[in-house]
Amino acid sequence: MKPSTRRDFLKFSAAAGLAAQAGPLAGNLFAAPAAYSRRGGKTMVVIYLRGGADPLHMLVPYGDEHYRRHRPTLRMSLEDGLIQLDDMFGLHPAMGGLQRAWNDGALAPIACAGSVHPTRSHFDAQDWMEFAAPGNRTVRDGWLNRYLASTHTEDASEFRALGMQELLPRSLRGLYPVLAVPRSMNSEKGDRTLDTFEKFYGDGSDIMEGGSEMMGRREEDAAGVVESGRITIETLRRFREIVSGQKKRQAGDTVSGSVYPEGGFGSALEQIALVIKADAGLEVAGLDYGGWDDHTNQGDTEGRMADRMRSVFNGLGAFYQDLGPRMKDTTVLVMTEFGRTVKENGNGGTDHGHGGSMWVLGGGVKGGKVHGTWDGLERSALYQGRDLPTNTDFRDVFATVMANGLEFEPGADFFPDHKPRLLKDLY
Amino acid sequence: MDPMTRLLSLTLAAAVGAAPLSAQGDGEPPPLNDRERAAHVLNRLAYGPRPGDIERVMEIGVEAWIEEQLTPSEDLGVRLEAKLERFETLGLTVAECSKFVLEGAPMGEDPESRRERRLMRRKPVDELMEAVPLRAALSERQLDEVMADFWRNHFNVSFTKGQAIWTQLPHYEASVVQAHLWGRFPDMLVASATHPAMLHYLDNHLSRKPPTEQQLKQIERRERQRTGSEQRGEEAAAIAAQRGLNENYARELLELHTLGVDNYYEQDDVIAVAEILTGWTFTQGRNASYEYVFRPNLHAEGDRKVLGKRLREDEEGGNAQGMELLEMLGEHKGTADFVAMKMVRYLVADEPPQDLVEEVAKTYRKTDGDIPSMVRTIIDSEEFWSRDHVGTKFKTPYEYLVSALRAVDADIQSLDRLEGYLRDMGQPVYHCDDPTGYYDTAYAWLDPGVMALRWQFATDLAAGKIRGVRIPDTLYDRIPSHVPPELWQHHLTRMILPGGAGERTRAALATVTSEYLAMHRNPDLYELGPRLVGLLLGSPEFQKQ
Repeated sequence: MKPSTRRDFLKFSAAAGLAAQAGPLAGNLFAAPAAYSRRGGKTMVVIYLRGGADPLHMLVPYGDEHYRRHRPTLRMSLEDGLIQLDDMFGLHPAMGGLQRAWNDGALAPIACAGSVHPTRSHFDAQDWMEFAAPGNRTVRDGWLNRYLASTHTEDASEFRALGMQELLPRSLRGLYPVLAVPRSMNSEKGDRTLDTFEKFYGDGSDIMEGGSEMMGRREEDAAGVVESGRITIETLRRFREIVSGQKKRQAGDTVSGSVYPEGGFGSALEQIALVIKADAGLEVAGLDYGGWDDHTNQGDTEGRMADRMRSVFNGLGAFYQDLGPRMKDTTVLVMTEFGRTVKENGNGGTDHGHGGSMWVLGGGVKGGKVHGTWDGLERSALYQGRDLPTNTDFRDVFATVMANGLEFEPGADFFPDHKPRLLKDLY
Repeated sequence: MDPMTRLLSLTLAAAVGAAPLSAQGDGEPPPLNDRERAAHVLNRLAYGPRPGDIERVMEIGVEAWIEEQLTPSEDLGVRLEAKLERFETLGLTVAECSKFVLEGAPMGEDPESRRERRLMRRKPVDELMEAVPLRAALSERQLDEVMADFWRNHFNVSFTKGQAIWTQLPHYEASVVQAHLWGRFPDMLVASATHPAMLHYLDNHLSRKPPTEQQLKQIERRERQRTGSEQRGEEAAAIAAQRGLNENYARELLELHTLGVDNYYEQDDVIAVAEILTGWTFTQGRNASYEYVFRPNLHAEGDRKVLGKRLREDEEGGNAQGMELLEMLGEHKGTADFVAMKMVRYLVADEPPQDLVEEVAKTYRKTDGDIPSMVRTIIDSEEFWSRDHVGTKFKTPYEYLVSALRAVDADIQSLDRLEGYLRDMGQPVYHCDDPTGYYDTAYAWLDPGVMALRWQFATDLAAGKIRGVRIPDTLYDRIPSHVPPELWQHHLTRMILPGGAGERTRAALATVTSEYLAMHRNPDLYELGPRLVGLLLGSPEFQKQ
């Protein structure tokens, strides 16, 4: 039996608990239920830049002799305001929000990291990265959802994971129930709505008698609607309590002095920070930022991509400052589905490429240096003669960051078809 | 016990205590009765029943209703015709629409006229975003609307591309989507490939052959002479050298419009397709028609190999090579399979039954992609009528909102407030950034959390808090006056949930009713009624079709 709805999952998981004594279960969901060892208090925030964010426009290889030739209109230099990291790389000027974290040694860019799969389709590349199973069309659970499923315990907080947007990022999708917090429901009017519909989606106490209801009409809740509604009510309420409680506690507390940028992304980060500070047992949170498919008019130090970078990285800078000492237990991981062509195209933009970059912030990462292997921009060093290569498999980054940032070492079959290699230099 | 643990232990009890849900015991489940059949077609081939629709369909017969829906006719219904009159930009050409955008250019003056200009500029966007759900809610040609949304997502284009596309979408909706609803898929493919909206959305209008060495030298020389700087000359040449192919449209044409991802094609095919389609652009500029044009000077000439087949350059210097490419894709088995799979997923089940997909693909190949024949194959199938697939498909936000408007027979003055709800739920009309279009499966939409947005909408609609939309008293007047207040709930349930309500929903409605009656000596139908309607629209049963 393969669980196909969240309700089935919970059923399955509970049954699996019983069956565990009888023998191991097939399938990667419960590959290593006994092997994990978690210690509480650690959180990971995963940011996905959708569209294929140009790695050479964030981690700019100004020191590479071929860089200027590949990028006649997009190129930038130290004189243009690049934030120098070393003799090869500078951060885009719009990433100034991260300067302090870099100086503190808490920011670790990983060059040429991403998926080794050759696809240049956004949708496959995103799915496969978030399912952590490139080329595999059968896995439908996000890697963070699998983490949650593999580490579930009877006394787990109901608040282990959070998607701070209307719909969950795919990494958090799957059979383990995770709350997506719609912005407009974060209000008193929203609270009243939850009260009104509680009777219809229940608190779970009538599910046993409800057995007959489900039997009468074939698989009444096959799509998992009631289940989803019930979880919505329970967790959204708890979320509201946590956030307002924490706000009250820190009212007038201006120690951090941190200012989040306006807009949905900044305010979502601020809410995540509140939940972390409230010690509510949050382990993973996910957040998307879309629009990075810069086929045209990407801009240089200013422009469309710079605007987007400013809101993302100023937001993360504020988050870093806000959490202060808690950043040692909080890891932020930033990724995108692939890099872009090393050469700019004729429209002031770049096309779909291969190797990208990944970014780890906080959580005890060994920052202050650029990680990954850089082969330069000579044509012979490029993937298919046009793109950055992928020298670090994203699954190894996931495994390393989970091991250190969440104290969870994924079992041998956590990633289908891949045995993760921990990146020793990263911590 | 915290909720999660309680949930786990309860579901465990259910798992141990209850028989597997799929086991039906003795024999086949009974086939659908007439009322169930009518409800099913109104849910799947329409945006849900309005009050009285089920009875009407039963009266003329389900088959006759289907036949009517499959037969093209202009009759959109009187109510809709009147409502569409006020829209000025629907169906206008791109050039005509651009007048609104140009005349609405922001200029100084007083705030009031600035506001008017802004509205003028946005008119093609605002009107289309309002007209699409309005048609879906009010048109008598419901299957047209259901299929139109399928094609809008299959050949997705989006307002989010930027202001230039604002003028292009009203015409795209009319000439690509509506015009080919009941035609052949290959014709719709060509219509999309030659529409400025698609060429713009996926950047094909920018794709061009890279300059030759000779041209580069010329550019360098000219720039050097103009500026007197060697460096500037070299830079100009370097910039020009970058100009060339843009693979965006070529890739999505193969991946999303025809073959399906990584089916039959590789990166070399993508490049060859991009080369073939260089020069496919549209006219631009002052007084331009903004229509598709093939520009030989941008075209990368040469024979190309795509999917193992050689496509010869058009000797007359026209677009015949590209047309041949589209024809080849339209005839390809992969296209038949991919389009069939998506159609079955949309009209039957999130996990499309494979036998039926093959059947529909066969129809595609036999009829050269005749859309009505494919839809007919689906409707005539056993799978379409199977109890496994009836009332089980989770509505997308758009389907949910439109079906709610229909269920209460809403009196619609304007739908401009709908946009905000659709935006919150993640599905505003013609705003899907990704070329995939919006997904149509529960997997994409059913996250814990989003249910709350549906409840909010249901409550607002029933309470009359959505400007421009109200529930007419006539809805409540359908309940005969002799019916006692305790039974109002049953009449409203029957109207809004034709598939019936589960025990939990019935119990919840009874509680709300008795609480109300305990507080009110003189129960008011127009007070309790809306409350019950809001709850029914937010109930689990109403989320599915």
